Amino acid sequence: MNMKKIGAAASTGLLVFSLAACSGGDSSSDSGKTQIKFINGFTGGDGAFMTKIVDGFNSSQDEFEVVQSQEKDHYTKFKSGNYDLVVIHETSLETYQKDQLIQDAGPYMETAGLAEDDFNAAGIQSGTVEDKLFGVPLDIHPLTMFYNEELVSEAPTDYEQLKALGETLQSENENLYAFGLPSTGLTTFYFTAAAAQNGIDLAKDGYLDFTQSDYADALMQYHDMVFKDNTSPEKLGLDGEFQAFMKSADEGAKQTAVTMTGPWYYQAVKEKYADNLGIGAMPTLFETAATTGNAHTISVAASVEDEEVKDGISEFLKYLYTPENLANWAESGQTPSHLATLDLITEDPEKYELAAKNQKQLDTYVAAPRVYQFDEQMRYMNEVVFTKLTSEPNLTKDALMSELEKATKAAKQIADTQ
Amino acid sequence: MTNKSKWLGFIFVVPFLVSFLVFWLIPLLYGIWISLHDFRLSVGNNGFIGLKNYVDILTPDTIYNRTFMTSLKNTLMFIVLSVPPLILISLGLALLIEHLPKKLKTFFRTVFFLSYSISVTAVSAIYLWLFGANGGYINNILMKAGLISSPINWTGDQPYAWLVIVIATIWWTIGFNMLLFVNALDEVDGTLYEAADLDGASAWNKFRFITLPEIRNISIFVMITTVIASFNLYGQSLLITRGGPEQSTSSLIMGINTTVFGNNQLGVGSAMALLMGVIMMLITGIQYWISYKSDKDDLAKPSRKERKRLKRAVNAGPTNVNQHPAATIDKKERKIT
Amino acid sequence: MRQKRIKSGILVAVASVLAVLFLFPLVWMVFTSFKTLSESLASASLFPRQWTLENYASIFSASADSNMVQWTINTAIVTLIGTVLVIFVDVLAAYALARLDIPGKKVILGIVVVALTVPGIVTLFPAFYLFKSADLLDTYAPLILPYSAGTLGVFLIYNFLRSFPKELEEAAYLDGASQWQVLTKVIFPSIKPVVTTLGVVTFLAIYNDFLWPSLVTNSDEMKTLTLGVATLVQGSNFVNPAAMMASTVVATVPALIIFLWANKYFVKGVTNSGIK
Repeated sequence: MNMKKIGAAASTGLLVFSLAACSGGDSSSDSGKTQIKFINGFTGGDGAFMTKIVDGFNSSQDEFEVVQSQEKDHYTKFKSGNYDLVVIHETSLETYQKDQLIQDAGPYMETAGLAEDDFNAAGIQSGTVEDKLFGVPLDIHPLTMFYNEELVSEAPTDYEQLKALGETLQSENENLYAFGLPSTGLTTFYFTAAAAQNGIDLAKDGYLDFTQSDYADALMQYHDMVFKDNTSPEKLGLDGEFQAFMKSADEGAKQTAVTMTGPWYYQAVKEKYADNLGIGAMPTLFETAATTGNAHTISVAASVEDEEVKDGISEFLKYLYTPENLANWAESGQTPSHLATLDLITEDPEKYELAAKNQKQLDTYVAAPRVYQFDEQMRYMNEVVFTKLTSEPNLTKDALMSELEKATKAAKQIADTQ
Repeated sequence: MTNKSKWLGFIFVVPFLVSFLVFWLIPLLYGIWISLHDFRLSVGNNGFIGLKNYVDILTPDTIYNRTFMTSLKNTLMFIVLSVPPLILISLGLALLIEHLPKKLKTFFRTVFFLSYSISVTAVSAIYLWLFGANGGYINNILMKAGLISSPINWTGDQPYAWLVIVIATIWWTIGFNMLLFVNALDEVDGTLYEAADLDGASAWNKFRFITLPEIRNISIFVMITTVIASFNLYGQSLLITRGGPEQSTSSLIMGINTTVFGNNQLGVGSAMALLMGVIMMLITGIQYWISYKSDKDDLAKPSRKERKRLKRAVNAGPTNVNQHPAATIDKKERKIT
Repeated sequence: MRQKRIKSGILVAVASVLAVLFLFPLVWMVFTSFKTLSESLASASLFPRQWTLENYASIFSASADSNMVQWTINTAIVTLIGTVLVIFVDVLAAYALARLDIPGKKVILGIVVVALTVPGIVTLFPAFYLFKSADLLDTYAPLILPYSAGTLGVFLIYNFLRSFPKELEEAAYLDGASQWQVLTKVIFPSIKPVVTTLGVVTFLAIYNDFLWPSLVTNSDEMKTLTLGVATLVQGSNFVNPAAMMASTVVATVPALIIFLWANKYFVKGVTNSGIK
């Protein structure tokens, strides 16, 4: 290596930077199409279906191009990058509106020919902040029950049946359980389910109040499901509700006959169980029938000002909310909020099996409480409290209460940072 | 020196100075400035608030205090758990390699250094699945061997979660420290051992009175750099345990990340980062001071070997210095460590 | 002598056992990558009962959601250019500081030493925010340039040169060599060991960096291998260990090959005792 070589290499390097630096920041590609940068968190089995829609749009016309990014931590990336279009969960929509990161989606919907009555009530509710639609409703994804028909003949509808099922399975093989509670992961759905099925409203003055006595009782029931009834194994770890459903008891792992999990796992469970896969509504674990979950909405970044990009976004929405296109999303297992697409699904329940089943659940769907920084307010609950519920045999209600006080204190402080 | 050379010297220094200014000094000052403001990641600056961010972090029972203190405690825990094995095991491996037949030395050195070429994310992926709780490979082996009766929840239970992170870290980074020790052992003057052999010294005494003093400086260097590396724990915790169970392996950098990207508080996050930097500098300073103090009691003079080599290097002139960079290195060593 | 042979036999045996332990995770990774999904989830035996190439096929298929090839190219660009840039910048600066008469020399040297003691975390987030404000996130610039602000290299080379006799250079000047010729013909050959050390340490640092690139890249196309594997680990809501291990194998093999090929340089670099 002599100095000449190094000098050459370095100048090549500098050339690369200048090229790299130039390639950022402008919104038109080489093809002269106006680019719309679209980011979402669809990294599961549903991602491929959204990609199919985006590709379809890009080849359907020659004026615009949607460039899609699918990222696990897409919220972080959205905050630090330059994106025009973003998928936001119903629970985060208010936060993003308050933080001035998104704009009113109404005008875009109008241009795309979409009106409020094109969507179901749950969908409209999911996209609305302060009486305006800040997110175009995409889907509602409730907690979904999958079951293994080799072990359960019929979908359990309440906890008593699950408990009985658990006892039967345990007598056959001590590695077989009725269902699994995760230690962490999708635990938000389990927390909101305990509230919804007991008629408890967690939101209070903009923060989540977990210290309500009957809520603590409800959570203790989860603890009993593991340590008293043996319906679920203990300490299943991250995403344990799903992982345990995919294991096999013959190999010495703990296996469950039923899982209550996210519909995005549909591809994976379908692959494993094929014809033996059963799908059912969220069973009543507590007092009343109710299902919870979350919703996806599509929002426009506050930074979008370019008229061409605006037109492109409307054009994309128009394409997306055409039943035959959005049906792709239903095929992934998600349940669209778009009524015309729902009609299409009802006509073909074979092809859109999961969406058709989940659509029936929407009558009892209870949306998560609306608070600023919902995910952050839930953090302590998700990372600490549910782990304690499923891993500490001797947990008392008092001990739980002091944890709930910690979680509530944190939630209050987070709400105050608004 | 001519004017021309002044000018040329200036040109030579400019690339470094510009880079240092733009990517180090300005960010440092900007970071201090941000930490004194209510600075949100999403909308930017909401005004000057003085030391409020620092006060919030250091006031018991605020969310930021809990994030910072929990993750600081966890990070210190990791340092206590990981640094001793990272030093002792690497020294052990180096001693082992030192005593192997010549032909095999290179092979084993390569094997133990191999995992250093794997990125932290790949290391985490391997250990995450290897130590799966429900039906993972390690559990299956232990169950089959009858060593455990029920599966161990490796990544979801303490102390196992720390154990997995520490094992993964040792496997991943031990090779680097090992190489430093291998080299230091190579440098030890063989005649010292020969003299000791004539005196009939035991292996332990040879190690204690010859090897250890000779590798003292490199050991201090390894200790300081290992502590700094362990302070920066991030990837293993993030990917293997996700900071769990119950936030017990959440590291400082994870906590700062949550504050900046989760809570949107770039101001508070910058203050945390500065505090973390100050703590690291303090701990490094203390280590430096302790080793310097004990060095003084040690009659700080160059060892025989060092003197010999210096003399050789000076006599032989520049062409030979290449082969003996250590002549200068020992000086540096005393400067830093 | 027989005693000595027995002793070395025992040592070789111990080393072999340790080597097996060290290599085991890698071996397990490779075998798992050839398993089917359900078998990898059960993970009962080391060897696949049913060998499959499906995991590899899916990585390199057109519809793959992982840009392995692009990530490898990015990693090569970032590590190589970054390393060369650091060496280039540091050699010039250290030479000027050690040999040439420049204004403010003492101040610059002071800064170099002080900066060595400041941990990187303190500049990380503000630097990220500056790049964000300059609209340079997701380009090669933040992935490469900031590494050249490190002062370790300047410090190492400066120290080396200071204790390096000047006679050779002076002789070269008397022969009428220019400043540049002295630098390329006399200085550079003699500082090679330190430069090797600096190169190795820099290369490994950039290759293994995870936090910084994760802050400054947004799109999949700009990821390095380290980041790419991270998205696969956390990525899909449903993680498939067999596919995961196949990706890890693909991400690891290029590095392993480079490593084995450059092993002697690495060893030389690290053991040059230049890192002090």
